[in-house]
Amino acid sequence: MPFDALDFYDVDSLLTEDERMVRDMVRDFVDKDVLPEIEHACRDGVFPDEWRVTLGEMGVLGAPLKGYGCPGLSYAAYGVICRELERGDSGLRSFASVQGSLAMYPIWDFGSEDQKNYYLPKMASGEWIGCFGLTEPDYGSNPGDMITKAEDMGDHYLLNGAKMWITNGSIAQLAVVWAKLDGVIRGFIVEKDDEGFSAPEMKGKHSLKASVTSELVFQDCKIPKDRILPGVKGLRGPFSCLNNARYGISWGAIGSAQACFDSAKEYSLSRIQFEHPIASYQLVQNKLSWMLREITKAQLLAYHLSQKKDSGDWIPEHISLAKMNNVDIALEIARVARDIHGANGILDEYPVMRHMANLESVKTYEGTHDIHNLILGRYITGIQAFTRETS
Amino acid sequence: MTIAVLLKQVPDTTAKITVSGGRVDQSSVAKWSTSPYDEYALEYALQLKEAGAGDLVAITCGPDRAAKMLTDAAAVGVDSMLHVVADTTEMDSKQIQSILAAAIEHCGADVVLCGKQAADTNSGSTGPGIASMMGAACVGMVSEVMVEGDSFSALRASSSGNERVSVSRPCLFAFDKASTELRRPNVKGIMMAKRKVIETVSASDLGIDMGESQVIIESHDSPPEKPPGQKFEGADSVQTVVLKLREEANVI
Ligand SMILES: Cc1cc2nc3c(=O)[nH]c(=O)nc-3n(C[C@H](O)[C@H](O)[C@H](O)COP(=O)(O)OP(=O)(O)OC[C@H]3O[C@@H](n4cnc5c(N)ncnc54)[C@H](O)[C@@H]3O)c2cc1C
Repeated sequence: MPFDALDFYDVDSLLTEDERMVRDMVRDFVDKDVLPEIEHACRDGVFPDEWRVTLGEMGVLGAPLKGYGCPGLSYAAYGVICRELERGDSGLRSFASVQGSLAMYPIWDFGSEDQKNYYLPKMASGEWIGCFGLTEPDYGSNPGDMITKAEDMGDHYLLNGAKMWITNGSIAQLAVVWAKLDGVIRGFIVEKDDEGFSAPEMKGKHSLKASVTSELVFQDCKIPKDRILPGVKGLRGPFSCLNNARYGISWGAIGSAQACFDSAKEYSLSRIQFEHPIASYQLVQNKLSWMLREITKAQLLAYHLSQKKDSGDWIPEHISLAKMNNVDIALEIARVARDIHGANGILDEYPVMRHMANLESVKTYEGTHDIHNLILGRYITGIQAFTRETS
Repeated sequence: MTIAVLLKQVPDTTAKITVSGGRVDQSSVAKWSTSPYDEYALEYALQLKEAGAGDLVAITCGPDRAAKMLTDAAAVGVDSMLHVVADTTEMDSKQIQSILAAAIEHCGADVVLCGKQAADTNSGSTGPGIASMMGAACVGMVSEVMVEGDSFSALRASSSGNERVSVSRPCLFAFDKASTELRRPNVKGIMMAKRKVIETVSASDLGIDMGESQVIIESHDSPPEKPPGQKFEGADSVQTVVLKLREEANVI
């Protein structure tokens, strides 16, 4: 049965017809290909390769990028794609976010013409997977102090250092790696077989289990000179990628929340306790109506932001608010949904505990909840509170 | 050479149907979809097109909302679309067949694929009726069709299992459920569909005079409520359950 997504204010009617067709296409993929497989994928800790192939065939990777074999869709369509994928699983959406916004986007925006022509078509088709190496073991919220460095050796660059928590790392053919060259952050394209590069997988996650997370290790890793991204210097490079990925997450989280709401609604209507469905009790109805309220607000917020993204009238703080709010409510909705399911809520027969555990990662990556608070705090007061130094 | 696929928009099989005033209340149908058998016809029509059997036109006869189905068909690769805008709710089968036969002629198609019956009316008369108006060979209960030189090879259900038949043009294939996978559109197809224009005509544009409907629908009724399930407990009831399954439910 096709998914009956909660859309109380009919926000999707504001989408264009082709945006709704893209939605239906991705929704069908999630219903038919993803949901029947997701629990196996989580149990085995793998990202099924068939999903990569189908995402490429559907042509949704790098959704809002134009040219070089990329889809050229609107930001609204990109948001809808993220939402539908994350209704399946945050790990699936993470794959697409990293591929499109974190690996393809920097090449598209800051790459040379040759780099764009060489890498983008095969990344849009899903033939090549990309990853994004910013976070380091000792530098998460504070990537500006990263240690990984590049040295100019005349006819090549030499990369040394390590990245951690890198989505798609071990399954990627290329990594966009941020490293300091003469003290300035620059982007480098590292290919899987480059000498001195390895990407061991990190095991033991209780969250995003169907997503591959890895370390990237560079030991005198030799990179040809034409693999530096010429178009950007400093933190602006990685941050502009993050803006796009965070925007997608603000939509994606709604998908998780819709899945949890749907499961909680169905469950509460069929679960009989004290001779009546639990949905007939006021406390449960209060929980459901709170979910409806928060999902509806999140939908309006994400849709309005999509229009700002498409018209170019946006600032990063707009995205911080949406990422922070929508992930926050999605996580709380997942927790309440888990509660409504009682003991059944912890089983993999229902999607709620999986979404709940996934959203813990989503709350942390792409700027933690509190880092977005600090970004908004700085916007409101003009005072940065990230560090005690007054720079 | 042109191949036509006939698509009908019906209430989605998951949609709740309500009857009021002796008629199905169309405005209360939450979701409209392409009739499931037509989807198999569309899939095989696309395969015939890809095998070089001709250009593919998707035709529907129905209200404005049916255009969505044609756009969806364009997204998976249909070359052109014809929409005969008409309120078909009070038409009889013959009137609809004559509209569709005229539409097929308008498009110059001599190979037609359609579903064996629509999921709402289930009358099963459209395909054979059109074939007879076209003077075309009619193959029903088809589950597969392929190009074979100048003619077509179709697999259909028969009393002995399956039957393979070879048919020459003009011909019409009415599809049963097939084992093939239905294709999903992709972004490229969706963007192309946006650019394709649906040709919109009325029955009179096609030059047909349908006359009066010979069949008057007197009323629609909801199916009777299913009787509640029966519950049996304990090993002693096994015999009764087996008997009921055999005699009443006819399942064993
Ligand atoms: C599953 C997963 C996938 C990931 N994928 C990628 C990827 O593909 N590429 C990549 O580069 N990174 C990736 N990351 C890393 C992610 O971006 C970081 O985890 C994130 O930036 C937070 O860094 P941290 O974990 O080091 O936490 P920390 O920065 O150590 O933060 C710990 C806590 O301290 C708080 N905190 C930190 N600084 C302040 C402050 N100034 N004021 C108040 N509170 C503060 C934080 O809000 C948080 O609550 C991924 C992480 C996960 C979990």
